[in-house]
Order: sequence, then C-alpha cells, then structure tokens
Amino acid sequence: MDILFGAVASGILLGMVLALVALGLTIIFGLMDIVNFAHGEFLMVGMYTGLLTAQATGMDPLFTLPLAGAIGFLLGVACYGGFVKYLLRGPMIAQLLGTFGLMLLLRNLALLFFGSEDRALHHGLLVGKSFDVGMGIILSATKLAVAALSVLAFCGVWLLMNRTKTGKALTATALNRQGARYMGIPTERMNALAWGIGGSTVTVAGALLVNFWSVNPYVGLIFTMIAFTVVALGGFGSVPGAFFAGLVVGFIMEIPGFWDFFAITFDIGWMADVPMTSFKYTWIYVAYFVIMLISPRGLFGWKQ
Amino acid sequence: MKISSKCARLLVGIFLLTALVLPSAVTAEEIKIGVLFPLTGGAASAGRELRSGAELALDIANNAMPDINMTMAKNAGIKSMGGAKITLIFKDHEGNPTLGADLAKKLILDDKVHGLMGAYHSAVTKAVSVVAEQYGVPLINDSSTSPELTKQGYKWFWRTTPHDVYFTKDLFEFLKGLTEGKVKGVPAVPKKEIMNLASACEKTEWGAAVSELIEKFGKEYGFEVKKSILYAAKATDLSSEVRSLIAVKPDAMLFASYTSDAILMMKTLKDQKAAPKLLWGQNAGFEVPEFVTTLGDTTVGSLTRTVFIPKIAQVKPVAAKVNAMYKAKTGNDLSGASARSFTGLQAWVHVLEKAGSLKPADIQKAANAIEIPGDELVVPWQGIKFATTGDDIGQNTLGMGLIGQYQKGADGKIDLEIVYPFNVATANMIYPFPKF
Repeated sequence: MDILFGAVASGILLGMVLALVALGLTIIFGLMDIVNFAHGEFLMVGMYTGLLTAQATGMDPLFTLPLAGAIGFLLGVACYGGFVKYLLRGPMIAQLLGTFGLMLLLRNLALLFFGSEDRALHHGLLVGKSFDVGMGIILSATKLAVAALSVLAFCGVWLLMNRTKTGKALTATALNRQGARYMGIPTERMNALAWGIGGSTVTVAGALLVNFWSVNPYVGLIFTMIAFTVVALGGFGSVPGAFFAGLVVGFIMEIPGFWDFFAITFDIGWMADVPMTSFKYTWIYVAYFVIMLISPRGLFGWKQ
Repeated sequence: MKISSKCARLLVGIFLLTALVLPSAVTAEEIKIGVLFPLTGGAASAGRELRSGAELALDIANNAMPDINMTMAKNAGIKSMGGAKITLIFKDHEGNPTLGADLAKKLILDDKVHGLMGAYHSAVTKAVSVVAEQYGVPLINDSSTSPELTKQGYKWFWRTTPHDVYFTKDLFEFLKGLTEGKVKGVPAVPKKEIMNLASACEKTEWGAAVSELIEKFGKEYGFEVKKSILYAAKATDLSSEVRSLIAVKPDAMLFASYTSDAILMMKTLKDQKAAPKLLWGQNAGFEVPEFVTTLGDTTVGSLTRTVFIPKIAQVKPVAAKVNAMYKAKTGNDLSGASARSFTGLQAWVHVLEKAGSLKPADIQKAANAIEIPGDELVVPWQGIKFATTGDDIGQNTLGMGLIGQYQKGADGKIDLEIVYPFNVATANMIYPFPKF
C-alpha cells in the first residue's frame, strides 16, 4: 500500500508543478488563441535566471523569483511587440513556424551564452529537504513550494479573468479581435498583456523548478510537449480545466509507480520485468493523441 | 677542367639534396594524434579531467624528465623518430556519437592525424572505432568500458582500460567476500541480508551493457536482481525511477551513471529517503571530483569501482610523483578518468617508439607487440599488453580494477579508500551504508 500512496502523493505534487508550467501556455494559447512553441524555452530562461542570480548574488533562489517574473514579463511583451504581432497578420501557419523559429533562437542563444552543460543548484533553503509523512508518502520541500505557488497562480489568473474588467477585455479580444476593437478595447495591448502574464508565470515556474531539476539549453522541448498536452486536455479557454488537466498528466507520469504497486502487491512476475520507467514520457504523448481523437475540445473547454 | 667542375657541381648538388632531405627524414617530424573527449555537455567535468591527464602525459613525453621512472620520461619526444614531438588535437564530441564520428573523419581527412585516442562514452567510441577501421587509422581507447568494443574483431582498435566484465565481476567478488568476512573491518554478513539487488543504469551503450552484466553475474553468484532500470542520462527528473528502485526494498543499489545524472540520482535518493545497505557506482559519474564537491557528506559510505585512487601513491612511487605533478597543474588528485587518459597516451608513446615510423602498418604492428611493465604505470595494473587472438582482440590483458569507498578523514576531507582487492585495503569499510 505504501507504494500506492507514495505514487498518488507524488502524482498530485508533480501534477501541480506541471499545471504551473502550463499556466502560461493556457493564457497565450488556450485563452488568446496564439500558438507558442517557444513556451518551454521561456521556462528555460526562467530556470537560468533563477540559477544565475542565485549563484551570482549568493541569495536563496526563492528570493529572486520577482526578478525572474519581471524578466519573463518583459520577454513576453518584447516577443509579442517585436515579433508575434506581425505573425498574427498572416495565416495560422505563420504563427506555427514563427514561434518555432523563436524557440530555436532562444535555445541557441542559451547554447551560445551558457554552453550545453547541465547545471543545477545544490544549495538553498529548500534544496534536498523532504518530509516523510508516513504511509510511504515523502514530500520534497521544493515540490511543495512549487505546488503552493501553482495553486496561488491559478487562483490569481482565474480572478483576473473572471472578476476584473481587464479579464473581460482579454476574453473579448480572444473571442473576436475585430469586434473587441470596435468596442474600444485596445486589443494590441491586451495581447501584449497576455504574453507578459504568460511569460512571467512560466519564468517564475522555471526559477522554482531549478531548485530540483537541472537545466540545459535543451530542457524546453519536453516541457513544451507537456504544456501542450495539459492545455489540450484541460480544454481551450478554461483556467480551472488546465489545473485539473495538470493533475491528470501528473498521474499519467506516475504510471510506473502504479505499475510497480500492482506488480509487487500481487507478485506478478512479468509485470515486474517490464521497464515502465523507460516509457514514462510515452504515456503523455499517447494521452495527447487519444484526447485529440475523442475530444478535441478537451475536458473543460468551451471554445470551438 | 670541364669535367672536374661538372663533378664539383654534381657533388654540391648531392650535398645540398642530402642536406635538404636527410634531416626531415630523421628529425622533427610532427606526430599528430586526434583526441576526442566530451569537453562540454553532461560529462564535461570528466572531459576536463581526461584532457588534463592526457596533457600531462604529453608534457612528460615531449620533454626529458629523468627523475620520473618511466621510459617515456627519459627522452624528449620519440627517440626512434629522431626526437619527433607529439601534438594532440582535442575535439569535443559532447557525448554525441554522430558528432564523434564526424569529428573523427575531420581529424583524419583535414588534420591528417596519424592516430586517434578517446572517446570516454562507449557509444561514441563505438562510432569512432567504425571510422578508424574504415580509414585504417589506429585508435587507442583509454577509458570506455563497454565489453562490446573489443568484441568487434577490429584491426585498428586497442583498449588500455579493463572493461566492465572485469569490473562487474570485481563487484560480485567483493559482495561474495563481504558474505565471507573478507572485507577489512566488517564481520561476515549473512548472504540473505545482502541478497536483493536493484540497478539503475543510463541507457546508452555503456549503461545498458553494465545492466546486462549485473543480471548475468548476479545469477552466477547466486544473488537476486529484483529490479533493473534503464534511464536517460539527460533526464531532468529521476524521482519515479528512484521510487521504483525503493519499491523492491533492495539491500544493495547499483548504478552506472555519467556526471550530472549521478549527482541527480544521489540527490533524489536522499530526497526519497532511500535506505540501502550498500550503494555502488560503476565509476564515471561516481568518481569525478564534482561528485564529492557538490554532494559533500551525502557521498560518505558510497562505493565506486575505479582504476585509480590517490592512496595508491603510498605503494607506487611513480604514481605519487605523477599525482603530485597533476595536483600542481590542476588542483585535483588524479582520478579514474585522468589516470586512464594519462595511461592511454603513455601507451601511444610506447607504440610510436616501437614503430619508429608513422606508417599505419608499422604502428599497427607495434601496437600488437608492445609490452609496458606495470611499474611504469600510475594505475595499479600488471602492465599493458594487447590481446591479438581470441574473442577480445585489442584488449589490454593485464588490467585490473579497484573498489573504493568515500570516507571522511580526520581532517574532514572526503577521500576514496580502497576496500577491494582485499589485500590492498587502506581502511575499514563502512557497513552498512549510513542513512541519508
């Protein structure tokens, strides 16, 4: 049973972490309908920001989060104003190829400046600490912190979208850009704002992730894939949907843990021999494929 | 008169010709060796070690240092080629086999190297060995340990380091010794207490081979391998792997990891409160200096197989001498990586000295014939002599491995102590592995 509880707890924590990673994309892609393949690279920028500021100043990476957020906001706004704005004038394919190019640019800039070495933080208030709460559940302090921030960030974005005028303007822009402009909504500014918020949430996530994951210039790809799965699963346009989708993806990544539970509890020999951990990312792609097949609008989506 | 002036002119001509031709034939030919190491990427720190080791050996080979008791230290350059100096051309393959093969081609075709050395990652070495074989350029491998590499029957490939069949067998001999009370400072451990093993190995050529060997020898020695995991060395997260290991409650955890993943593995093990009685790493990531400098006390009690432990200096004067020079140059002691690249280049020097020419066929013949005695080496081997027959062609038959344990000395410094072979143990073993 310990194995089962451990896997469930770890799935929930990981799910909240992944939801936070995907929040930025939920805003940019899910809400505003602009594809961003460079999402994982934004995360990478956040990770390097957290790592380098912590190393340069000797401060705990927790205290440099606002800086990471600010850099992410500026990066998002700059990318939109200097680049994506022009892509929107073209067909959909322009967004696909354009943000794909942005991804390559950011990745190669990182290679140029930081090299291809893996880098990681080894010291910090939370690094290496974990709590054993019994029943096989071990919670690491770093992941708990990210999970807490994840809940806060999701609440914040939900409030922004549903309780403020700006949120209404953002939704209007996403639904019908031309119509919104006729109503006097500064749509350009709304899009830039969405990119800014999206960028800052993902860089803050990155700055926290670097507490327990190492960073290299290639780290973005897997997170881009995960984020797209979360957004697709949660449904386009739904903030709470993205959060629950994050949890589902967390559980999907925990499949090896559940597999072990069955193999060991029921002593099934052939199950124990299957190298499930080698396929832990495979299930995400399988899930993405299945969702696209049976419910292209996702679980909670409202947009066509 | 006419005839004699013709004669004189002829003589002058011949003299000039010999003056021009002879010296270049006898002296000052430049010997170029292409060296492929992972200087960036996940194993960059091992790459730096390897490079420094090779550079130190180069320094000793190209300059006369009579106070070092090595043949290559006696002369400046290669004596049989009129003191020709060796130049190393380093290339960075980033741990990428495709890039490694491309760079090897470039070294052969553009830089016109006379030989190759490298490439640490077994997967890269495999790709490079195919290129070397294709172009007929000798490749001496110093530090890749997948057994497969010398099973290919290649004619241009030689390997100085022992491979993982030796090392994994060492591990099981060590475990057997542990149950028989042969380990210094540890009374015999009942076999059922150390029966269950679990392994996690990186999934390229090297780790996958180690994983298979652990299963094979486990069966042979009567241990039970409960779980074998293969993981990607570039993984950012190993928590589900670690939980899967812990789930089978292993007595001993065995690893084959490169640098960044070894550190991540240890951090995750600590995070998940793993409690094995024994923790062993198949060198590589477990013995680069970063392993100790980043993880500190967490490493105390973990074991690693290696071919060099600074304590060897106590019994091998030549190792003490070279280690001191290396420390002066880099600030670190020699490690399994740097000691092996040093030894790899040393083998190259002996081969060139014996060949006396740069013709590939002569080098090939010399490599198959050299015999370096053990007392000239910094590593604790009986010597270097390559197999020319059998199913392990090109493999050094005189190598052997060590198992070391990280222990904290009285000065608070964490060092490797030898625990295997039992007769050269330098300290009492810490058993069981202290809790994280």
